[in-house]
Amino acid sequence: MSILSVDNLCKNYKNIQALKGVTFIVPKGSVFGILGPNGSGKTTMLGIIMDILKPTSGSYKLFDQIPDETYRKRIGTFLETPNFYHYLSAQKNLEIVAALKERGADDIPRVLEMVNLTQRKDSRFSTYSLGMKQRLAIASCLLGNPEVLILDEPTNGLDPVGIAEIRQLIKQLYQQGKTIIMASHLLDEVEKVCTHVAILKKGELVANGDVNEILANDDIVELGASDMGQLKAAIHLLQGYSNIKEQGNLIQLFYPVGTTNLENINRHCFNNGVVLNYMQLKKKSLETKFFELTN
Amino acid sequence: MIKLLKVEWLKIKNYNAFIVLSCFFLLGVVVINYIIYSINKNMFSQTPASKLMASFSPYNFDKTWQTTSYATGWILMLPALLIIILVTNEFTYRTHRQNIIDGWSRKQFIDVKFVMALIAAVMSTLMVIITALAFGWGSGTSFSLDGFSHVGFFFLKAFTYNMVALLIGVLVRRTGFAVAIFFINMGVENFISQLLDIWSIKLRRESSIDLGSMGDYLPMNAADGLLTFPDNPLKGLTKGVLPTDYTSIVMVLCLLYLILFYWWSNNRILKTDL
Repeated sequence: MSILSVDNLCKNYKNIQALKGVTFIVPKGSVFGILGPNGSGKTTMLGIIMDILKPTSGSYKLFDQIPDETYRKRIGTFLETPNFYHYLSAQKNLEIVAALKERGADDIPRVLEMVNLTQRKDSRFSTYSLGMKQRLAIASCLLGNPEVLILDEPTNGLDPVGIAEIRQLIKQLYQQGKTIIMASHLLDEVEKVCTHVAILKKGELVANGDVNEILANDDIVELGASDMGQLKAAIHLLQGYSNIKEQGNLIQLFYPVGTTNLENINRHCFNNGVVLNYMQLKKKSLETKFFELTN
Repeated sequence: MIKLLKVEWLKIKNYNAFIVLSCFFLLGVVVINYIIYSINKNMFSQTPASKLMASFSPYNFDKTWQTTSYATGWILMLPALLIIILVTNEFTYRTHRQNIIDGWSRKQFIDVKFVMALIAAVMSTLMVIITALAFGWGSGTSFSLDGFSHVGFFFLKAFTYNMVALLIGVLVRRTGFAVAIFFINMGVENFISQLLDIWSIKLRRESSIDLGSMGDYLPMNAADGLLTFPDNPLKGLTKGVLPTDYTSIVMVLCLLYLILFYWWSNNRILKTDL
């Protein structure tokens, strides 16, 4: 069963096409990252799925059904900003959420404890820091132990400890079998947390699939020698690399992740009469990969 | 709907603006009626109009229903302000989106606001009934339901004001701006209404065409036009000059405007991005 299936979803704002026929499926039990730079259409898409934005065309299903409000009650959603009544406390705000969802009223102490807000549960929302507001929004999502969570930039505004805690929480929820859909512009975050990813660029889906396949990074080995001609000739006899490039007075060899053996390369060159004067293993940065995908 | 109203109650029961405006309104109903009661009782006895007005007691049964409804009608902007604040708060805090994300339909969101506007009108009307009874009995007259229809007109006016407030709240979204638009709308409508009324009088006098008080055909003035101060000897002097009061036409117009306000706010929430 798929938790969410999006079919050819389009959204126009006057002359701007925010979504251009996006199609993908979120499998049950996955942590599904929606990745893209700012303005790529992530929040627009989640807004349509939550019925606060109207699609121009296309359709979507939740739990394999054409959705109505009852399906939204089964999902804990945090979209864009923490939206609460400023004049009410965390406790009172969560009571409203529980009444809206028709479940979770007895779950309020647990979720407040999970996000470390028990001490401040009676303080007005307006007195909270940005990080506390963000944590209250996460608590609100967790209310009633929903089977699916939709989180839009969940670590925005959090300090490094808070970010680590939220990532750890997402991993725990995944281990409990919950499905998590997470929008983020942070590639590192998606790579660390998600099992699947869809990458959006200016409203278009540019990649979609298993995170290890989509975000796989090549290893790069840079080699230098006093006689570059002899080095090139030796390298042509070498096997296992996927690509070769010349970068100034260095040669770059590209290997699939984890397959590089520097010792073998060094021995091969030496056996072919080349003494290396430079050798370094580099990882292609995630940012480089992200730019490759989105530019 | 009971479930939806319980959620609305959770939103407002600890909200200071709700408590303060409700208290102001309750106090205002008593104060404004007491002022009219006192003016009629004390002031006319010292003016040349006293002879004409000596026999006129606006808070005796059966006049008390009409007088209390008319007088209380002047402070109906207080519950309307409350409706504006409650509606625009949802947009300010973006909880209109969150309510729907958390499991309400758009229809439920606007319908519960509509019912809140209705409840505020019903509560205002109950306050008018209690006040009218208190002043009626306080005047030493015996109970009568004659003229109770004016309480119905009051309800219609209260509901119209609340629905205008709801519509402006939904369209404008920002509290200060919405309150300003509400009062500007009242002012502009009153101004146009005065011009139309003058034209109505002129038409009747010069061309013998009696189209009624055309100022009463405007949205908020239709509701205002249903409530008048009881006929009294001074008012009687103007009869024959003013156009006829077509109450039933004004009432139908008022109902049509209510349907329009409901349709418009409903449409706005159901069909557009939130």
